[in-house]
Amino acid sequence: MATTPFAEMKVSRRNFLRGGAMLTLLVTAGGVINVVRGEAIAQQLPEIPVNAWVKISAAGEVVIGFGSTEMGQGVMTSLPIILAEEMDADWSKVRVEQINTDPNKLYGNPKTGGILFTAGSSSVEGYFEIMRRAGANARRILIYSAAKAWDVVPTSVTTEPGYVVHSASGRRLSFGEVAMLPEIVSNVPEVRDSDLKPRSAYRLIGSGIERLDIPDKTRGAAIYSIDVKVEGMVYASTLEAPVEGERPVTIDDKAAKAVPGVIAVMPVDDAVAVVAEHWDIAVKARDLLVVEWSGDSPFRTANSETDRADVIEKSSDLKISGTAWAERGDAAGVLAAAGSKVIEADYFTEHTYHAQMEPLAAVAAVDADGKGAEAWIGTQSQSLSLLAAVQALETTPDRIRMNATLMGGGFGRRTFFARVQLRLALILSREVKRPVKVMWTREDDVKNGWFRPAPAQRMRALLDENGNLVAWHHRIVGPSILEFAAPQRWATAKGKDILVMEGTEIVDYSIPNLLAEHVLIPRKTRVSAWRGIGWGHNCFASECFIDELAEAANADPVEFRRRLLKGSPRGLAVLEAVLAMSNYCKPEAGRAHGLSFAGYKSTLGAGVAEVSVNQETGEIRVHKFWAAVDPGFAIQPKNLEAQVEGGIIFGLSGALKERIEIVNGEVQQNNFYDYDIMRINEIPEIHVQIVESGAAPSGAGEIGVPMTGGAVANAVWALTGKRLRHMPFTPERVKQVLTQ
Amino acid sequence: MTDIVVNGKTLSVEAEPDTPLLWVLRDYLGLTGTKFGCGAGMCGACTIHVNGEATFACQTPLEAAAGASITTIEGLSEAGDHPMQKAWIEEQVPQCGYCQSGQIMRAAALLSENPTPSRDEIVEYMSPNLCRCGTYPRIVRAIERAAKEI
Repeated sequence: MATTPFAEMKVSRRNFLRGGAMLTLLVTAGGVINVVRGEAIAQQLPEIPVNAWVKISAAGEVVIGFGSTEMGQGVMTSLPIILAEEMDADWSKVRVEQINTDPNKLYGNPKTGGILFTAGSSSVEGYFEIMRRAGANARRILIYSAAKAWDVVPTSVTTEPGYVVHSASGRRLSFGEVAMLPEIVSNVPEVRDSDLKPRSAYRLIGSGIERLDIPDKTRGAAIYSIDVKVEGMVYASTLEAPVEGERPVTIDDKAAKAVPGVIAVMPVDDAVAVVAEHWDIAVKARDLLVVEWSGDSPFRTANSETDRADVIEKSSDLKISGTAWAERGDAAGVLAAAGSKVIEADYFTEHTYHAQMEPLAAVAAVDADGKGAEAWIGTQSQSLSLLAAVQALETTPDRIRMNATLMGGGFGRRTFFARVQLRLALILSREVKRPVKVMWTREDDVKNGWFRPAPAQRMRALLDENGNLVAWHHRIVGPSILEFAAPQRWATAKGKDILVMEGTEIVDYSIPNLLAEHVLIPRKTRVSAWRGIGWGHNCFASECFIDELAEAANADPVEFRRRLLKGSPRGLAVLEAVLAMSNYCKPEAGRAHGLSFAGYKSTLGAGVAEVSVNQETGEIRVHKFWAAVDPGFAIQPKNLEAQVEGGIIFGLSGALKERIEIVNGEVQQNNFYDYDIMRINEIPEIHVQIVESGAAPSGAGEIGVPMTGGAVANAVWALTGKRLRHMPFTPERVKQVLTQ
Repeated sequence: MTDIVVNGKTLSVEAEPDTPLLWVLRDYLGLTGTKFGCGAGMCGACTIHVNGEATFACQTPLEAAAGASITTIEGLSEAGDHPMQKAWIEEQVPQCGYCQSGQIMRAAALLSENPTPSRDEIVEYMSPNLCRCGTYPRIVRAIERAAKEI
């Protein structure tokens, strides 16, 4: 094994030595890599990776590595449950350890390109096989080692939670006792599929295990990057360029520097940073800076109103061709031949802001030579944050000791490099030779947001004489997210932007001719994935349009969808479940129900909204929302329900209220007083039902979002006969549509 | 130097009198359980008790807090076992958890004022506090549970 001189190793080694003898089983899905005795660790450490999926202490504590990061979705508990299940660990003795780096490429999520990256509801989906096979391997090592000590055949040995047992002789050893045996057998046969537990034997998966992170979160003891405090640390606030890419031309920092406690004022990248002994001083001094900016950014041409008109116009001009994201049959040909029979509608969604409750922050303590550092950041990708740190210090990965902290919300904002704060913290720490915390105010976080794109969506379709959907064309005009946020991925994506387009393929609907295409235009602001990713805006347009087509076919929207879902038993199951649980189309007086089917990758869902509309004000009230969700099967059912509830609220907030406006390149919103997100007194009564199909388990962080917009708009149509095609459905906009 | 009473202890703080109490607690005293969300009294992440009343720490200057009795999430109970904290665990409320100190502090103040709130009263009282993860349904359930148990 190659040397892995990650400084993190030193930390782990200290932990090992302090913690006494400990057995490390370096197992992966592929089998056992190495087994290290506690006593030997001091000599062997430099030659082996110290991150392991499983470690066992003499006291029987089972330490399980956690490769994703925790932003509220609960995977810090669900991934270890999967491993502990196959290992037959005693859950009360499990401890979870964050994996911060992956120099030997052992721990990456295969669903995110094999790097440490938590996005797209992919943690359970990507790690399920890895974790359960690692658990099965660990169990096998314990069985073979005990069998050796007892001089019996391994097949006569089994496990009970936390114990290895030889029933014939009544002998048993705790996992901790096995770990301390003189000889550990690491050369065990490979785990085959048939060796893995059947679902019926699960005792942890699907049970009511509580989340491990919750107790600290009720006591104010959970540490986020904004909370990290390091000896000697100072604070930095930044004055960011008013528009991306502009530079300070003149800086008058006399008043700022005169504030007692200010250490330094300096331009860094597109910002001017103020470093001070305390945060309140740094902000106070930052607000005294007088900076003249270059004012020459090409992004100054961005204007929400005119940009919207432009993309809508382009979406209707079929001469402008796009890149096909999904294609079945010959939709373009069928629709071209159909002439005036083609049914068309335009949908639009605006820029939205993540509004994660913790404003972005990072802490860095740079080494004396300026080429290494310890860093703390709430990140959706340890790997990409490491890369950002390496670039900031122009150093090598082995010099960065990364600490991925809990995140005060992510929702896509902390993907990719999560680079600005970390980069600034590193550069400023190198400069002032003290640890530095860089934090944004809420206003900084809003003004410099990476927003959901605002594409135009032209929907086109053809029905045959029996009202069957024969051709479907989903045409999206907007910028690429990947091109901006992940240029390396974009370079090999062949023009296919998964973050914009995913969801338009609607594989669960039987549509013989389908074309989903992306007409790419240059971005005019920073764009990113937003909870729900492409599925969020795409599902809104397609599920509203499905209702429009049902009307054109003189069909009931439910029957119309049932026909489309004839090839998807899982899709039909969630549809039927949500109809039953909502008592569909029997709402309270003055209200109406609207339906939306929704997929999110391998997870399927369907939602029903019960709404009323105030005809005077145009205000929509969502009274109730029902969702049926099929995640294959649930690792933590209670948490999965909570994730779906949260996704529904997030989606409704976006559908009803959220909008970022840009004028001459400048973001107009500032804080929660002008970027309003849903409050507790605005939410509907929510009911979630898990419909387990038994398919491989998949994620639940986002499935609540895509079904919301369509369900609400379709309910408003059922109530008023008016179509809402422009999200968000603000009262002014609804009122305008009602009076048309 | 300003003397303030935090979680029953009198502490001297060397900060400007207009420093928001939020930053005094977090940066000067190391009590990071109280969170920064907006700095504008719009999100409630910084909710603490000042003389028993739910208060935005970001909107309270240090000088205004002198002599007052301040309680933060760290001081709500000795062992993290205030009925509201227990109910929060029972109902598995937190997701990212960032807003939850503020939510719990506001909920605890509600039950001191009104031990038997209706659902409408709960929702009205809790509306200053934002949660982006969407834990609201569970917040309501946890408060109802704690109200039954107190």
